Amino acid sequence: MTNPTNKSKQVETTGHVWDGDLREYNNPLPNWWLWAFYATIVFSIIYWVIYPAWPVGKSFTRGIATVTVEENGQTKEMPWNSRSQLIAEMQSSPAAVKQREYIEKVAAASYEEIFANPDMMAFARSMAKGYFGDYCAACHGQGGQGNLPFFPNLADDDWLWGGQVEQIQVSLQAGRKGNMPAFPNIQGQALDDLASYVLSLSGEAVDAAAAERGKQGYAMCMGCHGAEGKGNPMLGAANLTDKAWSVINIPAAGSIEEKKKLVAGVINKGIAREMPAFGNRLKPEEIKMLTVYVHELGGGK
Amino acid sequence: MSTSTAVATEQYNYDIVKKFAIMALVWGVLGMTAGTYIASELAWPFLNFDIPEITFGRLRPVHTTLVIFGFGGSALFATSYYVVQRTCQTRLWGGPLAEFTFWGWQIGIGAGVVLYMLGYTQGREYAEFVWPLDLAIAVVWVSYALVYVMTLRNRSQPHIYVANWFYVAFILAVALLHIFNNLAVPVSLTSLESYSLFSGVQDAMTQWWYGHNAVGFFLTAAFLGMMYYFVPKQAGRPVYSYRLSIVHFWALSFLYMWAGTHHLHWTAIPDWTSTLAATFSILLLLPSWGGMINGIMTLSGAWDKLRTDPIMLFMITALSFYGMSTFEGPLMSLKSVNALSHYTDWTVGHVHSGALGWVAMITFGSFYHLIPRLWGAKEMYSSKLIYTHFWLATIGIVLYIASMWVAGIGQGLMLRAFDEYGNLAYTFIETVTFMHLPYVVRALGGMFFVAGVLLMVYNTYMTIVQAKRGVAVEATGAVALAR
Repeated sequence: MTNPTNKSKQVETTGHVWDGDLREYNNPLPNWWLWAFYATIVFSIIYWVIYPAWPVGKSFTRGIATVTVEENGQTKEMPWNSRSQLIAEMQSSPAAVKQREYIEKVAAASYEEIFANPDMMAFARSMAKGYFGDYCAACHGQGGQGNLPFFPNLADDDWLWGGQVEQIQVSLQAGRKGNMPAFPNIQGQALDDLASYVLSLSGEAVDAAAAERGKQGYAMCMGCHGAEGKGNPMLGAANLTDKAWSVINIPAAGSIEEKKKLVAGVINKGIAREMPAFGNRLKPEEIKMLTVYVHELGGGK
Repeated sequence: MSTSTAVATEQYNYDIVKKFAIMALVWGVLGMTAGTYIASELAWPFLNFDIPEITFGRLRPVHTTLVIFGFGGSALFATSYYVVQRTCQTRLWGGPLAEFTFWGWQIGIGAGVVLYMLGYTQGREYAEFVWPLDLAIAVVWVSYALVYVMTLRNRSQPHIYVANWFYVAFILAVALLHIFNNLAVPVSLTSLESYSLFSGVQDAMTQWWYGHNAVGFFLTAAFLGMMYYFVPKQAGRPVYSYRLSIVHFWALSFLYMWAGTHHLHWTAIPDWTSTLAATFSILLLLPSWGGMINGIMTLSGAWDKLRTDPIMLFMITALSFYGMSTFEGPLMSLKSVNALSHYTDWTVGHVHSGALGWVAMITFGSFYHLIPRLWGAKEMYSSKLIYTHFWLATIGIVLYIASMWVAGIGQGLMLRAFDEYGNLAYTFIETVTFMHLPYVVRALGGMFFVAGVLLMVYNTYMTIVQAKRGVAVEATGAVALAR
């Protein structure tokens, strides 16, 4: 510290001293550092020559890089920019070419033809998986398991609006509005009886006498849910006789009292839920592949 | 070190330095704890507890503001006020005004983060303060500039030491950045809401001109100033090259301002701005490394200190992380690399290799040098605790960066993977599922880092307590405190 000289190189300090002992050697710039810095300058100049770089007036230097794109059946050279690169990649990258071939094939095929062709099925599954993840999974879950009370389970064989491909396609294209009117005037004994009857339809162990009494009140439900409670896919009215519940979670409820409370809540408050239409967001062939995918999720029947 | 310190307390204003140093530690603990908490929220979302005030969106600016401006900012105020006095051998100019910079800064930050939690934010990254606070901070910052420059003018040394160049560049650049980025039109004089003066692409570019140069001048240049004082002081050796310090200072100052747009690659910005940002980022690599070389080479010939001096370990590790992240940054600013890294956690990992590895580590090292001297102690209370802190911090950083590389590069590769049919192989949600484990590791890294800082706080507290006891003993005439 008292003799601050670099012995190997005999470099002197600048002679300035601060705060008692702060000094600076006057070593030259390290050569490798200097040459590496020059190299980055050369790299940058080359980059500027190749790509759009410097603003000049109201325009800019476009660079010498070009991209070959196809326009109206003609190939033409465009200056490189992120837009022309995107066009070129969507036209001619191996993945895009392969995908396009398959899409054309699937677009021209009927559902029967697709189901019968393992190659097309595999493609539809692969492509629709992405669309399902992007558009459907946020509500219906990654595996289509749904999320009560708003989003029905797609992975069981119970369909509110029908599970035929044509019906699923309509659901996707036009969306669905699930509406059950509210019956706030049914209260007390009548409500309890009606809830008991509804639960009895799917074999829940309710008080038989109460269920019997509730049958009368059920008359106003028949219009949609049918005389036997089998539901109506034309209206999206649920089948009450199977054990699949799409609005309330009956299997998870502990006691029969709780189950009745859940059913009573639906009777009093009704249901208003909506699935958005995707016909204006997705292309017909994309809807088609999603239909195949959702159909398969529900067992493919 | 023997001649100038005897009358230090009378000669220099240490009171302001002490206050800022303590607040740096306070904000550091709070800010890093907030960071660890939001990292845990990403790994285990139930930690939101459906309380709006503590959700990721509200706490994230709390974390960044507290660590950058609370911890980093207070550390810079403390060290710059210390360094400028000692290297100019003059007392800090403007006593009450310096005091004002302290209270203004602390109240501004405290009010800012409380407002974030209540949902009041400008929505500009790293500049979330609402407009009245922006105005107040501008006043504080101009006062800071005045105090600093007037102290420099009062110097009793003919030359201005290199650390001060970096501090001055930082003060001037941050004033420019803060004022222009925050130009906004308030909805009304009684509203905390405002609209940016700029719109569209210009707004985005202004925001990232600010954001990147906040990194460049706040988190790089200013901490290089810290490095240029505390590394040669602690090593007891001269700075390696005066010439290198001049060249890399001007290159850094000139080049940084151009690079911010690389945060906006592959968006609606004109392609030529992207090119310029990428190339100026590449040009920045060697000027950035100039500081690392000067720091590390200062130690050459005294490498044995690494075995005996834990403070030196902090400093050298800081410089190594600085070198690594200033290499990684230009790499990520290349458009083709950015196409993979952008919007992934690679960016988050990169920022933390700089923030934890460089900014925090150089601050810890400098503080371990500074704190005993401020309070008149011979050394820190426990050298063992410094070692423990060093290893906790280093393990924490490595866990953090490695897990973010895995999460970021992994997600980037998943999002661009095609299957044999030319379809995208993965959905977004699958990438989120994949990132769960790295997120857990990252949160763990954060816990290591916070644990280290808590040790530092304890060590500092004990140092101060012992120093005060020592001074009391000295006052009774029993022992003269040796330095």
